[in-house]
This record gives sequence, C-alpha cells and structure tokens, in this order.
Amino acid sequence: MLTEIQEGKALNPVVRHITQEKINLYAEASGDFNPIHVDESFAANTPLGGTIAHGMLNLAYVSEMMTSAFGRSWLSGGKLRAKFKESARPGDTLTINGKIDCIEQKDDVSYANCSFECRNQKGEIIVTGEAIIKLSSDKR
Amino acid sequence: MSGKTISYEELIPGYEFPPAVYELSASFVSKYLKAVDSVGDGFVPPLAITACAIAAMTRSIPLPSGTIAIHASQELEFFKLVPIGDTIECHIGVAQKIARGKMSMLILELEVFDKGKEKVQSGRATIALPT
Repeated sequence: MLTEIQEGKALNPVVRHITQEKINLYAEASGDFNPIHVDESFAANTPLGGTIAHGMLNLAYVSEMMTSAFGRSWLSGGKLRAKFKESARPGDTLTINGKIDCIEQKDDVSYANCSFECRNQKGEIIVTGEAIIKLSSDKR
Repeated sequence: MSGKTISYEELIPGYEFPPAVYELSASFVSKYLKAVDSVGDGFVPPLAITACAIAAMTRSIPLPSGTIAIHASQELEFFKLVPIGDTIECHIGVAQKIARGKMSMLILELEVFDKGKEKVQSGRATIALPT
C-alpha cells in the first residue's frame, strides 16, 4: 500500500501480458463465453478481425493497481468510472498507470481522486478513467 | 437470469432482468484470481462479483448471428467486502436505450446484495449493440 497519500503521487503501475489462454481462463471464471473473446474463427470474420480481451479483464488490472495502493479502502469504499477506448488483443502488453490528482474533504471525510489509464505496447489507450477512494482517518 | 433470453423489444427502460444468484466459492475465486494474474487476500475481488453479473446479463441479451456487443463504459461503486463462500444476488435493469444509427447503446444499472440483503456494489454499464 502507499505509505503516503498526497496529491500528485503516482500509483505503482501494473503490467500484464494478454494471451488467448488468459482470455479463455477469464471466460471460464466469469462465464462470459461471448465468441468475440474465445472463438478465433468467428472473431476473425468480424470488424474487429480477431479475438479481444474482455473489458472487465482489463478493468481487473486497474482494480489491482488501486487495491495495491489503497487496500481495503478501495475494496469497500472505492468508486470508478472507466471508458473502454480500444480493445486489448492476444499478444498485447498492457501497462496501467494512475496518480492521485487531488484529495478532497467532504463532511470530515477525505477522498482521494485518482485518474488512470491502461495503454498497450504501442501507446494506444485501452481504458481510461477516474477513481475516488474514501480514505479512513489514519490515511493522511 | 440463467439461460433465458429476451427480445430486443423487451429491452426498454425499466426492464429488469430476473435476479441472478451466485455462490462465490473458493474454487470460483481461485479460478478468477488465476485468470487476472492476481493473488487473493481472503475476500472476493469486487470485480469478480461484477464479472458474474455482467456475464449473466450478456448471456441474456439476444444477439443476431454473427454480431457482437461492445462494452463501452463501466461505472462501479464498492460498499462492502464479501467473504469467500458467501452468496450474492445481482439485480440488473435497463436505465436507457439510445439508438445511434445502426447501433443501440444500452445503459444498464447493476446492484449486488449479500445474503444479509446489504448492498455490496452498484454500477452502470454501457453496452453497444447492433440493432
């Protein structure tokens, strides 16, 4: 977890390599077997031209970064808003970065407002968004 | 939500999918953590819960053969940790349906409750679908 929560602080990035095997594992775990994720011949004949990772798999990596930074404050007091801009594909390496943009006080409670983005190895944005974490009183 | 599909016409604001109940077993959590390359901390990762709800919902939406649904955006708020082994109930409803050319944007609202009926998480998903 972050030892110091302050404005401008970068969160420890998360880097993950996407493979078809991981996408298949995610499909099995979640029960989402949409053919665009798991059926390579079907996906090849769509405008996407091949299989793509589940958006929620990409978002899981964002949540991992937030959990690593904020622990249970994220797991039971986190809020996020994410836009899926591009698809992650087998062979991609995703890097998730985030930072604390500002810390706000509302009704004697502190909130960390963060921004995050997930990019592939070409620098293309896959997911972008914001997160708000309700901080416990001993966080600052 | 299990297995039942509905027609596009039924996907109107106010429509509510039948609630889906999941047991978040140790084997489910283990499989999920392996899929997302993560390690657990004794609780169910909140996105594992969301994943169950989203998957059940997308299975219920009819898609014409050869077409795809695109997850365009997601909002989530987490209220409570869920211990491994607990049972959750997912409620999903259609908040908005917007026609954009040959696509429909479905905005779905999600609420998840634990066995004590306490809210665990809520959210909003935007799904782009061919019309």
